[in-house]
Amino acid sequence: MSFIKKFIEQETINRRNLLLASAYGLGGAAALRTLGATPARATTANPTIAWSYRDRTNPYWNYIVSGGEAFVESLGKPKSALVNLINEGSSEKSLADVKALLGKEGSNLALAIDANDAPNCRPVVEAVAAAGAYVSTIWNKTDDLHPWDFGDNYVSHMTWSDEGPAEKTARILFDAMGGKGGVVHLGGIASNNPAIERLNGLKNALKDYPNIQLLDAQPADWDTQKANQIMASFLTRYGDNIKGVHCANDTIAYGVIEALRAEGIEGMPIVSYDGNQQAVELVAKGEILATVFTNPHWGGGITAALAYYAATGVFKPSAEPKEHREFYGPTILITPKDAAEFKAKYLDSTPKYDWKDFWGPGNGQIKYK
Amino acid sequence: MDNFLTRDNLQKWAPLLVLFALVLFFSVANPNFLSMRNFARISILSTPSLMIGIGVTFIILMGSIDLSMEGAVAVCAVLFATMFTALGGSLAGWGWLAVVGALFVGALFGLINGLVHVGLKIPSFMASLSMGFVGIGLSLLITGGDRIRVEDPLFRSLLTYRLGGFPLMVYVALAALLIAGFIQGRTKIGRNFYAVGGGEDLAHASGLNVARVRVIGFAIAGVFYALGAMLAVAQIGIAETVTGRNLMFVSITSVVVGGTALWGGAGGVWNTLVGVLIVNVIGNGMVVMGLPSYVQDGVLGLLVIIAVYLSTDRRSLSFVK
Repeated sequence: MSFIKKFIEQETINRRNLLLASAYGLGGAAALRTLGATPARATTANPTIAWSYRDRTNPYWNYIVSGGEAFVESLGKPKSALVNLINEGSSEKSLADVKALLGKEGSNLALAIDANDAPNCRPVVEAVAAAGAYVSTIWNKTDDLHPWDFGDNYVSHMTWSDEGPAEKTARILFDAMGGKGGVVHLGGIASNNPAIERLNGLKNALKDYPNIQLLDAQPADWDTQKANQIMASFLTRYGDNIKGVHCANDTIAYGVIEALRAEGIEGMPIVSYDGNQQAVELVAKGEILATVFTNPHWGGGITAALAYYAATGVFKPSAEPKEHREFYGPTILITPKDAAEFKAKYLDSTPKYDWKDFWGPGNGQIKYK
Repeated sequence: MDNFLTRDNLQKWAPLLVLFALVLFFSVANPNFLSMRNFARISILSTPSLMIGIGVTFIILMGSIDLSMEGAVAVCAVLFATMFTALGGSLAGWGWLAVVGALFVGALFGLINGLVHVGLKIPSFMASLSMGFVGIGLSLLITGGDRIRVEDPLFRSLLTYRLGGFPLMVYVALAALLIAGFIQGRTKIGRNFYAVGGGEDLAHASGLNVARVRVIGFAIAGVFYALGAMLAVAQIGIAETVTGRNLMFVSITSVVVGGTALWGGAGGVWNTLVGVLIVNVIGNGMVVMGLPSYVQDGVLGLLVIIAVYLSTDRRSLSFVK
């Protein structure tokens, strides 16, 4: 297998060299201009605003885009002023789209992006910085890539830490179980970061509950049907020993609930994650004890706003502290007590956000392990 | 002669023997496996894939293949739920019309699939694969990526109401299986499937309209996909674009493991029943034993290879392509 590894390494280095060379070239040209009579153009009056993301088939990304559009409208522009770059899960397409747009707009671009996977974030950021445009990223970046290494051009990165909230839902679950008995976990795709963090959250909570036993944890791939099937098999394997279910997200919880319904089991404590509409309704009814909302609408709007206002010079990223450049997004825990209120506030209507309050709803600086 | 008969018999009964062996094995591994409640669980999980399996059995009998089921199921499920909701959302009211509508949509989808394959002379695997994508795209267009909930208690009683320990949907599936058995054994079109699969040139030469048989076959398969889609919705109460996901692999695996030959002419829907049970018993049994799911996928893959090897009379094959 080593030859494959070597090949990938070589390709990575080649790509990096190419990008660094082009960045150097453009940077050099900019430096020359600074030395000459014309002053370097640090900001731009009316940049094009673009959002680059995976697809439109998923409620999550639809919420992200709705936030981006709400922000664009707050500037007095039509929704169509937001440029949508859809990468369909391909990092190559993501980078190619960004480069094409940079070719057209040059430095006159404010880009919000989820780079699709962590390694792709660096070439995207480097391409944007080389063109003198502005970029804010969410979710995917490698740990060694930081906005402050790129002056003003890499404005910010936001991600969500799932470990803490998943631990909170686990505690709610354990308390509902009376602090004893067996629990099963149905997780996301095994290698997904959020899936790992959500299981870790459960394990952290377990340390404080010696009488709770984790019977089993299996990946259900964020999939309702798969979760349904696994829960049915869990019931065969562990039977009445299962006293509670910890689900990695809402779609999994739906499958679990139906597997229990098929058996006529009622009132089994279940917790979930994501805060989808249907899940919040189930929380209100008490069929799910808790779920967690990450506010993708705000995330979509604020990421575009950060890039835009940096580009227009409203704030200077390099003058901001590190916790304003890399930070966690908001998470809201929803329990039966506040579900109705939450639904009225966030789901039935969309709150008006102040798109210049960049860091208020955030959750502090990103910590690396 | 004696030897040949033994081999023939063994090939015929091997899937059923495998099923019994598996049940025995998992029962020894975990006594919980051998319980009425667990058999009910396995049967619930089996019903949608049994319906899809029956549909594709007819296609495979003709020596063709159908890979459109995920798209067909998505379209049928999503349109069923949409119509059901629009008609008042209750089987007691006008909701039953949505059932008829979904069966019609399935038949239409299959018909188009068959016409594309036969009329445009595109190999069935390519035509059906493309139609599957069309189906996924269509259902995305209808739902916009959202999920449609079907919560009518009467419709959900397919899952929740039990008769003799098994939910109603299992009996619906059995009834459909009997109808499929009837089509296969007692009707002209059923026998024609075998004729086309056994020797297309011969069937054609003896005056059979092979193209017509194929198109009808795809349409019948579509009706069973629609049935499977509705049972899948009954199972989790949600219709969405991914309702049919994974059903392609599971159903074709089931057909092959059940002993229906991939080149057509041999096997049938009863084999498919055994195949579906084998696949679902393994799926259930592996979790019951505590094996991780990726091992489960790997085992199913190996199973297909073994099943095809065992069910093939290699002396009758001059070459494999």
